[in-house]
Amino acid sequence: MAEQKKTITFIIERQDSPTSAPYTQEFEIPYRPALNVVASLMEIQKNPVTKDGKKVAPVTWECNCLEKVCGACMMVINGKARQACCALIDELEQPIRLAPARTFPVIRDLLIDRSVMFESLKRVQAWVEVDGTWEVKDAPIQNPYTATTAYEISHCMTCGCCLEACPNVGPQSDFIGASPSVQAYLFNLHPLGKFDKEKRLNALMGKGGITGCGNSQNCVEVCPKNIKLTTYLAQLNRDVNKQALKNIFNK
Amino acid sequence: MAKNKIIVVGGGLSGLMATLKICEAGGEVDLFSYCPVKRSHSLCAQGGINACMDTKGEHDSIYEHFDDTVYGGDFLADQLAVKGMVEAAPKLIKMFDRMGVPFTRTPEGVLDLRNFGGQKNKRTCFAGSTTGQQLLYALDEQVRRWEVKGGVNKYEFWEFVKIIKNKDGICRGIVAQSMNSMEIKAFPADVVILATGGPGQVFGRCTASTICNGSAVSAVYQQGAAIGNPEFIQIHPTAIPGSDKNRLMSEACRGEGGRVWVYRDGKPWYFLEEMYPAYGNLVPRDVASRAIFKVCVHMGMGIDGDRRVYLDLSHIPADYLERKLGGIIEIYSEFVGKDPRKVPMEIFPSVHYSMGGIYVDRRHFTTVPGLMASGECDHQYHGANRLGANSLLSAAYSGTVSGPEAMKYCKEGKQGADLTEAELEAARQEVQAEYDKIRQMNGSENAHKLHQEMGEIMYEFVSIERDNIGLDKCLAKLKEILKRWNDIGVTDHGNWANQEAMFVRQLRNMILYAMAITKAARCRDESRGAHAKIVLDAQGQRVTDADGELQFMPRNDERFMKTTVVTYDPKTEEPIVNYEEFEHSLIKARPRNYAVAKKE
Amino acid sequence: MINVSFYLRRLHSLCGLLLLGGVLVEHLLTNASAMGGPEVFNQGLAMMEMIPPPVFLGIEICLYAVPILFHGIYGIFIALDAKNNPGAYGYSRNWKFALQRYTAWYLVAFLIWHVGYLRIYLKGIMGEHISYALVQSVISNPIVFVLYALGMFAAIFHFCNGITTFCMTWGIAKGPRAQCVVDKIAMGLCALMCLLTLAFMFSYIA
Repeated sequence: MAEQKKTITFIIERQDSPTSAPYTQEFEIPYRPALNVVASLMEIQKNPVTKDGKKVAPVTWECNCLEKVCGACMMVINGKARQACCALIDELEQPIRLAPARTFPVIRDLLIDRSVMFESLKRVQAWVEVDGTWEVKDAPIQNPYTATTAYEISHCMTCGCCLEACPNVGPQSDFIGASPSVQAYLFNLHPLGKFDKEKRLNALMGKGGITGCGNSQNCVEVCPKNIKLTTYLAQLNRDVNKQALKNIFNK
Repeated sequence: MAKNKIIVVGGGLSGLMATLKICEAGGEVDLFSYCPVKRSHSLCAQGGINACMDTKGEHDSIYEHFDDTVYGGDFLADQLAVKGMVEAAPKLIKMFDRMGVPFTRTPEGVLDLRNFGGQKNKRTCFAGSTTGQQLLYALDEQVRRWEVKGGVNKYEFWEFVKIIKNKDGICRGIVAQSMNSMEIKAFPADVVILATGGPGQVFGRCTASTICNGSAVSAVYQQGAAIGNPEFIQIHPTAIPGSDKNRLMSEACRGEGGRVWVYRDGKPWYFLEEMYPAYGNLVPRDVASRAIFKVCVHMGMGIDGDRRVYLDLSHIPADYLERKLGGIIEIYSEFVGKDPRKVPMEIFPSVHYSMGGIYVDRRHFTTVPGLMASGECDHQYHGANRLGANSLLSAAYSGTVSGPEAMKYCKEGKQGADLTEAELEAARQEVQAEYDKIRQMNGSENAHKLHQEMGEIMYEFVSIERDNIGLDKCLAKLKEILKRWNDIGVTDHGNWANQEAMFVRQLRNMILYAMAITKAARCRDESRGAHAKIVLDAQGQRVTDADGELQFMPRNDERFMKTTVVTYDPKTEEPIVNYEEFEHSLIKARPRNYAVAKKE
Repeated sequence: MINVSFYLRRLHSLCGLLLLGGVLVEHLLTNASAMGGPEVFNQGLAMMEMIPPPVFLGIEICLYAVPILFHGIYGIFIALDAKNNPGAYGYSRNWKFALQRYTAWYLVAFLIWHVGYLRIYLKGIMGEHISYALVQSVISNPIVFVLYALGMFAAIFHFCNGITTFCMTWGIAKGPRAQCVVDKIAMGLCALMCLLTLAFMFSYIA
């Protein structure tokens, strides 16, 4: 091609260990159409040299599926939390700034520790209490409209975008965030799961529960799966308030 | 009495299913995974899971499912194993339904079914086009419940490195390494179940996740476990080619009415419908991939002469597409930037699945006592070609076999002597020494570039069409790559979350696995399912018939209706290929032809 | 298990909207009467003084002091839970989330000054009568005028945005459309109340 060779510049916030201080490094890779951030990081892996020619350790990050279903590659790209695999270079302003999602503890570079989210799922009992994996009898029929709602929420891949964007989630607060809260609603919708609705709602009333939500509504803006998080949070608020009245008057 | 401790490596559908079964039987599981199990590759499965529910008035039967699977697998699958799987399928679906999998439903609230390749009846249960994700999440939730109840200890971000055998050669533990602290530790157990998935990364770009590298399979292969049928690599006909990976466009597209075509004389040519009138666009994957390859590569009729054809959904109403295929339409729009509801998608075949894997018996025991394999990493159920939507089924079903069988094995007391502290420590130190050596490698090769090179070679010689000269060439090149591996230089010599060193170790395993695939393909002189071999003449030229059509070797039941069993020769590091009989007495082998409707 | 933080948060929300909202509206209406001239304003104050002092003090403590202290002090803890990020995520609701907290900080300072000076120092300690002339003299200082206007705006925004978040927190407005409508109504009310504030404040110094 006659036009001059295009390049892409990355400014990556790196950190060698959980306790060390962050620093930035600049990388330049040749432009290719349809490139995304993960593919670019892979290019850097093949030639881990900074813009000023220093050979460095390749950037550490987490990724699996590269199709926006596993949730692994969430990071902060140009200031916003999102999946790196579907962050197309053509749609990003350059230089592209990558940083770890600091709502979570940083392990190294862009690699973060999101185990807190899985712990929250335990807390809200995000499962159906089936008797076992053996055959019982036919599963109950479900309202297809309710099932559609459940399907939407069940897309949540625990990526943590909603937690990273939420001003109320972070080391300064104990709020568990939108994703695990809304998972409680998912199981309250299921014909068998709803038997434990009270337990889940009571869990959401606890410390760091749904009261931590400050209605900034960033979660619904950044959710890569377009889950109507704020709608379900409002529904949960309604349910939790009713449950509170029950707790006061029915016992 | 102390609980039996079982190690499950891999937290995909199969590993989680086995874990649940073990917990229910009163065992204790140490569950190892490279990633949080909720991010395992099972979630990339899109189209659905096959089970004879017969709710569409088509008189579908379990036998029909059985026959379709065996016929689709070109009569190389163990028929008793397949029979067990198809019989269990409807029960598994009900279990998943109870666990809360949001299957797509009919207006009256029962599970909807869709068409899928290689089967004439609607038999595929689905949750939109993210069925794997939904099934995986259901099991992930149940395992989390057991984690709270006690029974499961998760070791996430721990990489399996190798198994440890006791003095009698029985597998009694593993060595694993933390991917963050890089700590290497030996873990004893009564039985070890590998459920580590497929080897897609051996081909570089494929539809698999970056974690599907077959490294664990290769590690146990080097420790004595045989690999079965590794040459059968499924090429999925419809994927979006990409520089980092090929993204799958589910077979459900065709199941819901999608049509494959290219321009011929300025008009759309629906070549699958013309070549295979009985099944049309719903021919099995090996058949569709070969047809697309032929149209693009041999006839030069791909879009703009490139290796691409159209997969067209644009004639289907948008709201129907949204409901049935929403997830993948989003993937296409997001990564390609065009709306499949309006314009045809551009796709090309890609490496997708390995029918082969660790050689197991019907109880999922490998050739190493005390070591089991389950899920895509085993060789069972699919023969020479897998039908779409049978993979989620085989993954889940194999877990329901391997888990209880592992417990039975413990109860029978077959596990032999416990590992001594000294044995555990010796195994740990061995891995530590290997790792320390890798960390100090200072050669001139970049591991990731070497990996890319290997993938390109494998695609060139061991994918849709194979010939013996190419396979020989490939084997020679792989040996060279194995040698070049020694000259790798790592830039990260640190000892904290060192992904580069881990990749170098995996890469060596991948190269050895690639050699097993290639050698097995070289030895099988026939065409069967996904393995299509071109006839060469005495000069090594490809033979064509009077119409210029490439000639493929025919299926040879007499010589090759046998399972390929590959073992590792530690001296030469090369694979040794043998063949074994398998159970095929229930359905008699017949020619496989999708141009006509099948007759039983 | 009594979920203390849950009930405190809900109480915070109720107390903010109903009690403190009432206080704000009462202030607004009383002061708006100043637009009718000093007589109307003083008459209103005189009516209030007909309430017997012990009862009046009781009202002041129960409906004013306690709610303000509770809402304010607990609110500080809530505000400390947030790392405001409208710079990175500049969506309208996130700006309002941040403004809710910025206005809160301003109000804490403003109310300490306002209540401390007018109610405690002038009325309580110096025994001065609150009257049109007094208010006029206080806000005729341009700096005080601006600070007071800002205080009123902050309180009004905090209250109106509070209506929206109240509807979310109590699950009244669930869907995005309903929430958007509530938000628009609340912001409309906010604008009206701010205009009214400007009107009566200028009427004092005109």
